[in-house]
Amino acid sequence: MAEKIITLFFLLGSIVYLFFAQQFTFGTLGSPKSGFLPSLAGITALLLSLTLLYKQLRSNQTSVLDKVNWTKFIFIIIGLLFYITFLNMIGYFAATFILLFYLFKVADTAGWRMPLLISFSSATIFYFIFANYLSVTLP
Amino acid sequence: MDIFNMLLQGFLVSIIPGNLLACTIGVIIGTLVGVLPGIDTVSAIALLLPFSYGMDSTAALIMFAGIYYGSKYGGSTTSILINVPGEAASVVTCLDGYPMAQKGRAGAALSVSAIGSFVAGSIGIIGLTLLAPPLAQAALAFGPPEYFSISLVGLIFLSKLTGTSTLKSALMAAVGVMLSTVGLDSLSGISRFSFGIDELDRGFDLSILAMGMFGIGEILTTMTQLNTKTNIPSINFKDLYPTKEEWRRSIVPMFRGGIVGFLVGLLPGPAATISSYLSYALEKRCSKNPNEFGCGAIEGVAGPESANNSAISATMIPLLSLGLPFCGATAILLSGFMIHGITPGPGLITEQPALFWGLIASMYIGNVLLLIINLPLIGVFVQLLKTPLNILMPLVAALTLTGAYSINNSILDLMWIVIFGILGFLLRRTGFEPSPLIIGLVLGSGLERGLTQGLIICNGSILAMITRPISAIILSLGALALFYSVAKWISRINCAGKKANC
Repeated sequence: MAEKIITLFFLLGSIVYLFFAQQFTFGTLGSPKSGFLPSLAGITALLLSLTLLYKQLRSNQTSVLDKVNWTKFIFIIIGLLFYITFLNMIGYFAATFILLFYLFKVADTAGWRMPLLISFSSATIFYFIFANYLSVTLP
Repeated sequence: MDIFNMLLQGFLVSIIPGNLLACTIGVIIGTLVGVLPGIDTVSAIALLLPFSYGMDSTAALIMFAGIYYGSKYGGSTTSILINVPGEAASVVTCLDGYPMAQKGRAGAALSVSAIGSFVAGSIGIIGLTLLAPPLAQAALAFGPPEYFSISLVGLIFLSKLTGTSTLKSALMAAVGVMLSTVGLDSLSGISRFSFGIDELDRGFDLSILAMGMFGIGEILTTMTQLNTKTNIPSINFKDLYPTKEEWRRSIVPMFRGGIVGFLVGLLPGPAATISSYLSYALEKRCSKNPNEFGCGAIEGVAGPESANNSAISATMIPLLSLGLPFCGATAILLSGFMIHGITPGPGLITEQPALFWGLIASMYIGNVLLLIINLPLIGVFVQLLKTPLNILMPLVAALTLTGAYSINNSILDLMWIVIFGILGFLLRRTGFEPSPLIIGLVLGSGLERGLTQGLIICNGSILAMITRPISAIILSLGALALFYSVAKWISRINCAGKKANC
């Protein structure tokens, strides 16, 4: 089922892509313009995803996927989105410290003191490496 | 003789303390990447790209190459000891490596794997030394039409050779080409698919895409897996001696794997993985006792582990000679070259001989270092397997995000990393391989540039473009591959039809 959803996602994606590709001039085979490759790539992707979906729908085989802890998956994504949203507001050090501590807890790291200590020291080390050694302007 | 002299000069470059240190750091990180499940070669190189800004370009590239070939050495350790491949190319090693460990021969399997990797790695590097310069020389005659043909045929071969399904790989490559069209069109200057977002005008950064698909994707996969505790056997130095019989059975597979790996490495696709499977099948066919395979046959470890190391060196040939990456890791290596303002390709050997030969010579040194690291120090790396992933993965995630931010100082890049990370996670779960997407992204822009510039050179005649001798030969190979695929597909449908009628 998941496989079919992904194929459907690419099918819809290539339709949307092809729709926007029509805004650019196609040109001719002898003189391709900016819409030439996008149109060809979009059509190829559309045909491939259609063929793949047809094949998957006709197939009786059901693939067994590894079990995944979806709760953890959602919590990790929330953590990453939080980091991106608040990085500029609260600054690199605070955001990285919070993200690390949060991810340690999501990953079932036991206790409070150890995760806090590793988060603090890692955020400090990362800050010094990137800001001092690599001269990256961090928020 | 000339090659020999140039190689000697390359050795002088690679033994400069800074370059030697970079090589050592590279192979150690590479071994770590191979040993630790959950960290991929491509994402490790992508992650370290920002760290190389302050480095000398030769040292940086030596380090990245070290990570690349070093990771294939380390990949076998987890396959043999805990039946978990550290790298895709080491999956096949589990088949006989783990049964050997269960029989108490883990040390022998590890040492045969390391020595085989060294032997085959050397075969690959010698091949690279001998083949890359003449190919680069020949490529000087290549124009945009030839590059168009190579990119097109590269994509065709890539779809045929990658992953489990040709259709899925072809779809991924097409999506990669679609993504390559985002941003400013280099010829007309028109902004495509940027939807008014200025940052999208520069297109998708290869390293950002790789960090997301491979880095965050891998972190999500590892962190969301249900916890299973494994017992890691301890390895003593004396356990590493293979018996005389094990030696006798391993030597020929090592050389055979080296040659198979090198030949496969010249083709587009995940050469290391394909060559290991091919070598395993070959060893099984050549063996007097094929029934032993799967139950701890040492040939099943020696052959594949040799093949994947040899393939790695061969994949450097199209990158260094033509400037074209044919697999995910060389695509990200290309990104490393670009960051330092170096364009790999036919001009590299004449314009930057010190870098070119220094890099190749460093691979000989790195190969020896890896043998040292992977034999006497194997116990240390086995201990690293005890590193809890619940500590390691969050640290890698934070480092990946920081590294990605440092490339363009862009929050949007972080957003893309998360989006591509989720996509990479879902793709892997559903049997879609992300590598063709990355290569499609790189080859897509070359394809478009080659086509438009080639048509300008050939006065708008596509026939004149595809009938240029080199172009015609390359395109014929692609057409043959396509014809073979279609014929095979039709015969399979016919067979299925006959079976259904019966």
